[in-house]
Amino acid sequence: MAISAQAAGAAQGMTVVARTQTQLVRRRFFRHRAALIGMLVFGGIVVLAFSSIGFGPLPGWWDKSYLATGAVVDQGRPTLSLVPQFLGGEGLRWGEHPFGQDNIGIDYFALTMRGTQQSIIVAFIVGFVATTVGTLAGAFAGYFRKKVEAILMRLTDVMITIPVLIIAAIVGRSFGDSGIVVLAICIGLVTWPTLGRLIRGEFLSLREKEFVEAARALGTSSSRIIFRHILPNTVGVIIVSATLAIANAVLLESALSFLGVGVQPPDVSLGQLIDTYRSAMTTRPWLFWWPGVFIIAIALSINFIGDGLRDAFDPRQTRVRA
Amino acid sequence: MTNHPSETGEILRVEDLVVEFPTEDGLVQAVRGVSYSLHEREVLGIVGESGSGKSVSSLAVMGLLPRGARVRGRILYRGDDVLKLPARRRRGLRGRKIAMIFQDPMTALNPVHTVGDQLAEAVLAHDLVPRKQALARAREMLDLVGIPQAEQRLRSYPHEFSGGMRQRAMIAMAVINNPDVIIADEPTTALDVTVQAQILEKLLEVKDAVNAAIVLITHDLGVVAGIAHRVLVMYAGKPVEIGVTDTIFYRPRMPYTAGLLGSMPSLETSGGRLRPISGAPPSLINLPSGCPFSPRCPLAEDRCRAEEPALGEVDEGGHYAACHHWDQLAAVADPTALFRTESEPVT
Amino acid sequence: MIAFIARRLIVSFFVLLAATMVIYALTALAGDPLEDLRELPGPDRDRKIADRIERMNLDVPLPLRYLSWLGNLFRGDLGVNRDGQDVSVLLGNALSATLQLVVAATVLAVVIGVIVGIVSALRQYSTFDYSVTFTAFVCFSLPLFWVAVMLKQYIAIEFNDWLRDPVIPPTVIAVASLVGGLIWAAVLVGGRRARLAAFALGAAATAVTLTLLSATRWFADPGIGVVGLAVLAGGTAVGVTALISGLRHRDPLYAALSAAGIGVILSQVLDPVLADPSWLEIFGLALLTVAVCAGLGYALGGLLRRQAILAAVLTGLVTAGLTFLDRMLRGFADYSDYVRGRPIATIGSSTPNFKGDFWQTNLDVAGHLLLPTMALILISLATYTRYSRSSMLEVMNLDYVRTARAKGLPERTVVTKHAFRNGMIPITTLMAFDFAGVIGGAIVTENVFGWQGMGSLFLRGLQQVDPAPVMAFFIVSGSAIVLFNMLADIIYAYLDPRIRLS
Repeated sequence: MAISAQAAGAAQGMTVVARTQTQLVRRRFFRHRAALIGMLVFGGIVVLAFSSIGFGPLPGWWDKSYLATGAVVDQGRPTLSLVPQFLGGEGLRWGEHPFGQDNIGIDYFALTMRGTQQSIIVAFIVGFVATTVGTLAGAFAGYFRKKVEAILMRLTDVMITIPVLIIAAIVGRSFGDSGIVVLAICIGLVTWPTLGRLIRGEFLSLREKEFVEAARALGTSSSRIIFRHILPNTVGVIIVSATLAIANAVLLESALSFLGVGVQPPDVSLGQLIDTYRSAMTTRPWLFWWPGVFIIAIALSINFIGDGLRDAFDPRQTRVRA
Repeated sequence: MTNHPSETGEILRVEDLVVEFPTEDGLVQAVRGVSYSLHEREVLGIVGESGSGKSVSSLAVMGLLPRGARVRGRILYRGDDVLKLPARRRRGLRGRKIAMIFQDPMTALNPVHTVGDQLAEAVLAHDLVPRKQALARAREMLDLVGIPQAEQRLRSYPHEFSGGMRQRAMIAMAVINNPDVIIADEPTTALDVTVQAQILEKLLEVKDAVNAAIVLITHDLGVVAGIAHRVLVMYAGKPVEIGVTDTIFYRPRMPYTAGLLGSMPSLETSGGRLRPISGAPPSLINLPSGCPFSPRCPLAEDRCRAEEPALGEVDEGGHYAACHHWDQLAAVADPTALFRTESEPVT
Repeated sequence: MIAFIARRLIVSFFVLLAATMVIYALTALAGDPLEDLRELPGPDRDRKIADRIERMNLDVPLPLRYLSWLGNLFRGDLGVNRDGQDVSVLLGNALSATLQLVVAATVLAVVIGVIVGIVSALRQYSTFDYSVTFTAFVCFSLPLFWVAVMLKQYIAIEFNDWLRDPVIPPTVIAVASLVGGLIWAAVLVGGRRARLAAFALGAAATAVTLTLLSATRWFADPGIGVVGLAVLAGGTAVGVTALISGLRHRDPLYAALSAAGIGVILSQVLDPVLADPSWLEIFGLALLTVAVCAGLGYALGGLLRRQAILAAVLTGLVTAGLTFLDRMLRGFADYSDYVRGRPIATIGSSTPNFKGDFWQTNLDVAGHLLLPTMALILISLATYTRYSRSSMLEVMNLDYVRTARAKGLPERTVVTKHAFRNGMIPITTLMAFDFAGVIGGAIVTENVFGWQGMGSLFLRGLQQVDPAPVMAFFIVSGSAIVLFNMLADIIYAYLDPRIRLS
């Protein structure tokens, strides 16, 4: 209610205390409670995943490996308990195998953490590649129009007729066994066109603005106008779309791995874990639950961060937040 | 100038109207106590800069403020306080007794419905008559506001109209139910200069045809000059001067009014130089103490910065001004000279 | 309009052509099509490899292979897969099931999503609005396959188990009533007392309904019945009229009520006709309903004739739909026996070898469609909700909506006539994008529910590096997307007179 009234106030031309752009953005972001919680949750997951089993040469604090099999204890049931004793539970307990074990006795916590690491890495690479390529293509198409734009538009026309999952599945089938980094780069290379279209739209409107006219009248070079004058003004849109692209990439990667055309063994990812253990649903449901919970937590927290960033960069959107 | 109709009956009376918007940064006091009355067939000009509260106070009269706005005071239409009326009766006044014309005709008409449909709808909102009859009335109104080939134009969409024609259509829409009061919020600001005069002319002509009174809101004193019977000058959410138009123009008793007059280009301005008011209107969240105009006022003294002056009678014939130093203005021959032009030395 | 469609079709043709080139090449290069054969032991190996090379034209360079596939396509031949099966035949079997799924999911997502989004926008910053926004975020973040497996496990299997003795436990009734009450209280705006009243009424109504359903063991043999039909049709008449013209003037209400009444009477009179109809007959009856109701609205509408016709037609169609549902549910007990008490299917798109009349066949299809559709609409639903919410919020703040209010129009008309149509304009663009996403989602959903649909055609083809079935899938889905895009453009132009289709 307060926000709509403020917008109304601004529309009536009322003066509001002046602040710098960065201050405003930061302030608006930190006021967005969901975004803050999203940030804490996501940060927590990253720290947990990378510190527990370690990453590369770095050792972790968790003593079991995601590769080692072992004796199956209590049919592999999770030992984690979160219900305190006074509520009739078993108290807060971590236990030997907090997330349980699979049928050959691999510690499922370690396995889930490994999958989380891989899924996050894939999602960030996909997001980074798609954003970079999309931004560059969109910027050039939006600024130079003519040929570059025509090519981009035809390309996106073609891409629109191909569902993202289809093209990503085909790419995944080709590069799934070349390791997660190659796979992620390839997925990024086929998912950028929607983002490129968005950035192009931003450039189209900004290139008509007076400050660009002024720069051009002063004889500023095209590349300088693009990178020094227009790009900084699209930073908000780019950051927000990058965030949302990462959230979507988490879901895309897990869907591909679930279908068997994404991350391939011996690599592990959250979607691939669900695929591997989907038949265990009736006997060992926790093998299905844990990766799912982590996928949702990652995607949801990144989506909330994205929403907070959108509000922070574009206050007009606050009023009409999607 | 037509006869001043103050002897006729009063239709609209606004008393101590206050409008506030709560925001993240604090309470925006958009209107801080406005009172005026409007008589039958009268034209009242409300003049002020953007953010002075002139539009917000009119939207409050119409009941069209955004959700979250807080409104206090009384708005009496023929003796009934509209703020206390049940929603349905208040809606019955809107568009039938009190109509409004908005600033930007380019966005005020719905792009997906025909002009005829939007006009007829205004009739049907209040009277259950056959659609044909409502459309006939719409045609009649388009004729009245001077849109040629009204019959065909009923079937046109707004984007097929020019700006001036759209504003004519808005005027037609406002008067289609023979209202008592027309609130015109900057009706000519968004139009070409050549069209502005035509639209004002048409507005007056139509007003006479339906015997309505007009509240004409504008930031341009020139617009009200030949038209309004009385003028209300607003600054920072409050009326600072009110009086018969000629008095306001020739005997302003508030430095802000004098400043507005000095900023108005005209052939008569001595030396052909504009005398602008320096500075900007204050923030409506943290108003300075005392007279809100004091930071920009050449006459300001400590008293002005400490104590906000009340609206007081300065002359006969209902001339009121809110200034501690109104008598100083009365003493000088040309009050606009209080404001220096940039090249003039300080005297 | 025709020129527009023709030009779009020509452009789309070339776009699709380019896309087939990309997909054919990528699929053919995605792996080694002979991989499984190379590991075969025994003397057959070389012969089998030679056979497959022959069938898949592997001895021809890729561009020529593509051209020969394209040539066959223009002759209406989709080729054979690597095992020599005719792809057209495979496609024919898969097509109808998948199209049903995709169309059902899209239509439901648009209708429900837009309604929820609009209500959410009109109740901005209410509890309902916040809950909808939060739920939409969760839906965005749900992995489709995970939801599908969960639905399969917890809804289908446990619901079917429960159906043996469909008694709702009191605790469930209590919780459901509480939730029901909260929803009513959240949607309502008003003071605390009004909200409390809404909460109490909503909770009580939910509790009574559920208790009745439980006591009568309704779920064992569900149906609506004449009384239920009459009540629902009457309620629809009042609701639809309230939305279209308000209840202040009675004429449209009478028209809608008589449409409901005639519908209920006819549903009983026509019962024998509906014993085993065809879809053509059903369609004819629907047209007849529209005609009769339009006549009713015209005759009874008085000065509000336009609104009356709309209200009567909508009421008539809803009544007809309810009759259809009732008639279908009458076969439920028999059908349930046939499938051994497991009416909510978890595998496949229809029960193999099931033979029943029109109603039972449809019940069977509906039982198989239910869960995949529920899973598939989640993400689209969230998208439509959020976009229509933000679009409505934006439109509600525009000048012409203020003008409409300034005219003295009731808020109902402001929303339905001025804001709604403008707010839907951006949604049509979204529809075009979203449809492609639904097709992608259908692949995942079909995979979880074991459908032999287009999705499995695509996936198996891809796994086997066999372009023919993959391309068949793409020709269908790509054409569907192109047509859907065009449909969206036409709706766009219909909604916005500023756009000319040329």
